[in-house]
Amino acid sequence: MKAIRILLTDRAATFGSGIILFLVAVAILAPWIAPHPGDVNTFHLMNRLQPPSAENLFGTDRMGSDIFSRILFGARITITIAVIAVGVAVIIGVPIGLLAGYYGGFLGGFLMRTSDVFLAVPQIVLAIAIAQTLGPSLENVILALSLTYWPFWARLVYAETRALKNQTFVEAAIALGASDFRVIVLHILPNTASAIIVRTSIGMGATILTAAALGFLGLGAPPPTPEWGRMISESREYLPEAWWYATAPGIAIFLVVMGFNLLGDGLRDILDPKTRRRGGK
Amino acid sequence: MSQPLLKVDGLSLGFRGDGGFAHILDGVNVTIQPGEIMGLVGESGCGKTTLARAVLGVLPRNGLQIRGGAIRLRDIDMLSHEPAEVGRQNRVRGRKVTFIPQDPFTSLNPVLTIGEQIDDLMKWKSPLRDPDERSYWPTLLRPYPRAARKADREKVMETLDEVQLPQPAQILKKYPHEVSGGQRQRLMIAMALLPEPELIIADEPTTALDVTIQAQILGVLRKLASDRGVAVMLTTHDLGSAYEICDAITVMYAGQEVEAAPVGSFFNAPAHPYTAKLLASRPDAGGSMTGIPGELPNFYAPPAGCRFITRCDRATERCTIRPEPTRFAAGHVARCYHPLTAPESDRKEKRA
Amino acid sequence: MRRLEIILSRFVWFIPTLFGLLLVVFLIANVVPTDPARIIAGENATEAQLAILRAQLGLDEPIYVQFFIYVRDLLSGDMGRSLYTQREISDDLLRRLPATMELTLVSITLAILIGVPFGVISAIRANTWVDQTLRVISVSGLAVASFWFAIELQLFFSTRLGWMPLNGRIAGFGPERITGFLLIDSVITGDWASLRSAMWHLILPTLTLALPAAATLLRFTRAGVLEVINSNYVLYETAMGFPRALVVWKYVLRNALISTVTQIGLIFGTLFAGAVVVEAVFDWPGLGTYAVQSILQSDTKAILGFSILVGVVFIGINLLVDIVHTFIDPRMVK
Repeated sequence: MKAIRILLTDRAATFGSGIILFLVAVAILAPWIAPHPGDVNTFHLMNRLQPPSAENLFGTDRMGSDIFSRILFGARITITIAVIAVGVAVIIGVPIGLLAGYYGGFLGGFLMRTSDVFLAVPQIVLAIAIAQTLGPSLENVILALSLTYWPFWARLVYAETRALKNQTFVEAAIALGASDFRVIVLHILPNTASAIIVRTSIGMGATILTAAALGFLGLGAPPPTPEWGRMISESREYLPEAWWYATAPGIAIFLVVMGFNLLGDGLRDILDPKTRRRGGK
Repeated sequence: MSQPLLKVDGLSLGFRGDGGFAHILDGVNVTIQPGEIMGLVGESGCGKTTLARAVLGVLPRNGLQIRGGAIRLRDIDMLSHEPAEVGRQNRVRGRKVTFIPQDPFTSLNPVLTIGEQIDDLMKWKSPLRDPDERSYWPTLLRPYPRAARKADREKVMETLDEVQLPQPAQILKKYPHEVSGGQRQRLMIAMALLPEPELIIADEPTTALDVTIQAQILGVLRKLASDRGVAVMLTTHDLGSAYEICDAITVMYAGQEVEAAPVGSFFNAPAHPYTAKLLASRPDAGGSMTGIPGELPNFYAPPAGCRFITRCDRATERCTIRPEPTRFAAGHVARCYHPLTAPESDRKEKRA
Repeated sequence: MRRLEIILSRFVWFIPTLFGLLLVVFLIANVVPTDPARIIAGENATEAQLAILRAQLGLDEPIYVQFFIYVRDLLSGDMGRSLYTQREISDDLLRRLPATMELTLVSITLAILIGVPFGVISAIRANTWVDQTLRVISVSGLAVASFWFAIELQLFFSTRLGWMPLNGRIAGFGPERITGFLLIDSVITGDWASLRSAMWHLILPTLTLALPAAATLLRFTRAGVLEVINSNYVLYETAMGFPRALVVWKYVLRNALISTVTQIGLIFGTLFAGAVVVEAVFDWPGLGTYAVQSILQSDTKAILGFSILVGVVFIGINLLVDIVHTFIDPRMVK
C-alpha cells in the first residue's frame, strides 16, 4: 500500500501505470467488451475495408473484421509476449550478472564477454536471425526476444553486484561466515532489486516495440492472430484508400510502450534519488 | 573614514527547504575598505561562504529568499534586479570583483586546457579593453582579435610569473588535472588578479590544499594584493592564517557578525565571548582541540537575539534582543551586552 | 603513449567479440534441425542426391569442423549464395551497404542537430513548461513504432499532400556509381538534378529514423548538462562574470557531450534496427529491404550474412566511439 502511495506521487509513474493497468484490464476483459468478439477468427467478406463508423469504431480490415475488436484481443498477445519474453530474459540475465559480479575472475569475464557478444548486434537483427531460423510462431518470437534481451539485465546486475560486493555490510556478512549462496540471495539480490525493476519496466517497452517490428516483418504469430505489428503490415496493401487500417494498431503500440517508459522513468526518479529529474540543488 | 569599497548592510537571507525556512544570514554587516585585506572568520556552517556567494551573485536559486538588507560595491546595488543596476553588476563582475574558489581541483573545467580558459577570461574581462565595447557578434562567435590577444597574453605571462608558477608557457597547454593543487591555486590567484580588480573574494582558498603549501599560497595572495592595492575578502576558519595576512577581521557566528576589528586589537583584546572561545580553541594557543562546547543552533528555528546565546556562559535574559554594535577601539566593534573588555565609552557608535 | 594503449586494448577486444558473434550466428543457424541440402535440392531429390549435396556443402562433417569451414569461408569473404538472388551474399550486401549507411548517417546527423540543442535547453530550463513539453515529446518519440510512423508520414505527406516522393531512393537512374552514396556521387559527377532528387527522397525516411534517436540524445544531453550545471567550475565561471551563453554552450556542453558521445554507438544500434523496418516501408534499396526479402524467402544464409555484416559495422562503430572518446576527454589519457 505504501509503495502504491509513493508511486502516485510521481506524475509520470502514475500516468504510466494507469495505461498499463488499462491494457491489462482490456486484455482480460476482451471477450466481454469487444463489440465483435467473434471477428478475431471469422470473416465477413461483404464488410471488407469499411471506414470507421458507429458499428466499427476503427473501421474494418481486409477480412471485414472489426479492427477495434482485434486491437482489444491483440492486447492479450502483446502482454503475453512482453511478460514472458522479459520474464525469461530476467531469469537468464539476473543470475548471470550475480554470478559474474560476485565471483569475477575467469567465470565472470567469460559470462560478461558472452553478454558483450549479444550486445554487439542491434537486438532486432539478432532477433530476426533467431526468429527466422526457428520459423514464424508466437513461441519463437518470445524465445528470440528472450535470447537477445537477457544481456541488459546481466550487465546491470553485474555492475550493481560489483559495487555492492565492496560494501561494508556485504563484507561483514562474508566475514561472519555466511555462505556465498546466502550472501548473494539475502544481501546482494535485494539491493539490486530497484535497478532491476526500473530496467524491466523500460525493457518491456523496448521488447514490445521489437516484437511489433518482428510481427510487421512477418516473423510473429501467423494470421489471423490479431498481432498489432502484423495488422500494420497487412494494411500496407490497402493504403492509401484504407487510411484508417494502420492508425489504431499504431496508436495502441504507442500507448503501451509509452506506459512502460513513463513507469520506468517515474520508478527511477522514485527509487534512485541521484538521477532525479530535478534541476538545481 | 573614506567611502568603503564593499558594504554589506543588515543582510538577511535564507532558503526554503524540507524543514521550513532556514535563516542562514541574519542581519549581517560587513565593511571592506579599499585595499584592505579583511578576514571573515568563523566555524564552518556560520554563513561565510553564503555571504561570499551573495556578493558574487551566485547564490543557489532554489528556495532562495532575501529578506532584507543590501550589498553595495561602491554605489552599485549588487542585489537589485533593476535592469540598469543588473547591467552595472555585470560590468563589475569578473572585472572589479573577482573570485578565488575554495576548491582549485574542481573549479577549472576539466576538458579544456588552462590556456583556453584563461583566454576566455581575458577575451571578456581584460583590463586592457573597454568593458562597454559593443560587439555585434553573438556571444559564442565573438572574435578575439590577434592584437588584443597578443597584448593579453603578455599580461598573462607576467602575472603567472608573479604568482611564481614555474614554466607558465607549458602550463597553459596543460589540462587542469595535469597540474598540482598548489599550482592550480596559484593559477586561480593569477586569474583573479588578471582583470585588475578592486576586490577579490577568496573563499577558504587553502582548505583544499596540503598544509605545507597553505602558507605559501596565502603569502603570494597577501603580497600581490597589497602591492596592487586590491582589497580581499578572505573567508577562513583558520585564525592563524588570518592573523598572518589580514588587516582586519570580522567574526561571524551562525549567520550574524559578532565582532569586527583591526587585526592587532582583535588578537590583543577580543571583546565578544565567541571570539575569545575561538581564539582559545586554536591548537597553537594551547587550547583544547575539541573546539567550543555545544553546537551551532538550528537554522530553521534559531534563537532570538544573539545566536551565541545557546553556547555562551555570559548569556542573560537581555541577550534575546540582538545587541547593537559597541565600539571598543578605533575600528573595533562587537555586538555584546557582556563583553570581555570594557567598551571605549558608553556611547554607541552610530553605524547604519 | 597512453592513448595508443587504450586504442590497442580496444582492438584486442574487437577480435574475441567478433569471433563470439560468428559463433553465436553459427549456432543459431545450426540449432534447428533443418536440412539445407533438402531445401536446395527440392522435395523430389533422392537420398543419394542428397548425400552428394551434403558432402559438397560439408554437412557430413562434425559440427566443429563445419564451424571451422564456415569461419574460413567468411574470412575469405564467402557467405554463400543467396537462394533468392542467386548471387554471392557478400556481393549483395556490399552493394546495398552504402544505401543503408547514407540513410543512417544522415539520420544521426539530423538527430544530433535536434537532440543536443534541445537537450541543453531542456536542462537549463529544467522543470519549466519548456522542459515538460520537451519531455513529453521525447518520451513519445521513443514510444513510436518507426514502421508505423513511416507509413503515417507516407500517407500524409506523399499521398494526401503529394509533397514528398512515396518511396525509393531517387527518381530516374541517378548518378554514376562511385561510392554508392548518392549524395556524394551526384556531387562528384556534378549531377545536381540527382542530388536534389536524392535529398528529397531522404527526407521522410531520415525523419522517421531520427525521431527516436533525437529523443534518446535529448535525454542523455539533458542528464549530462544537469550533472555539470551545478559543478564548481560553472559556479566559478559564473562568479567571474563569464557570459551565460559561453558557460552553457561551451563549458557545460563540452562536458555533457562526453557522456553523450559514448552513447552514439548505442544510438547507431537503434538506428540500424529502425532502418530494417523503415527501409521496408520506403522500399529503400539497402540492407533492411534485403533482410526483409530474405525473411520472406526463408533465405537463412542471407539473413546470417546480414546479421554478421551489421554486427561488424556495429562493433566497428563502437570501437570508433571509444577512440573518439580518448580525444575529447583529456582525463582518459592522464
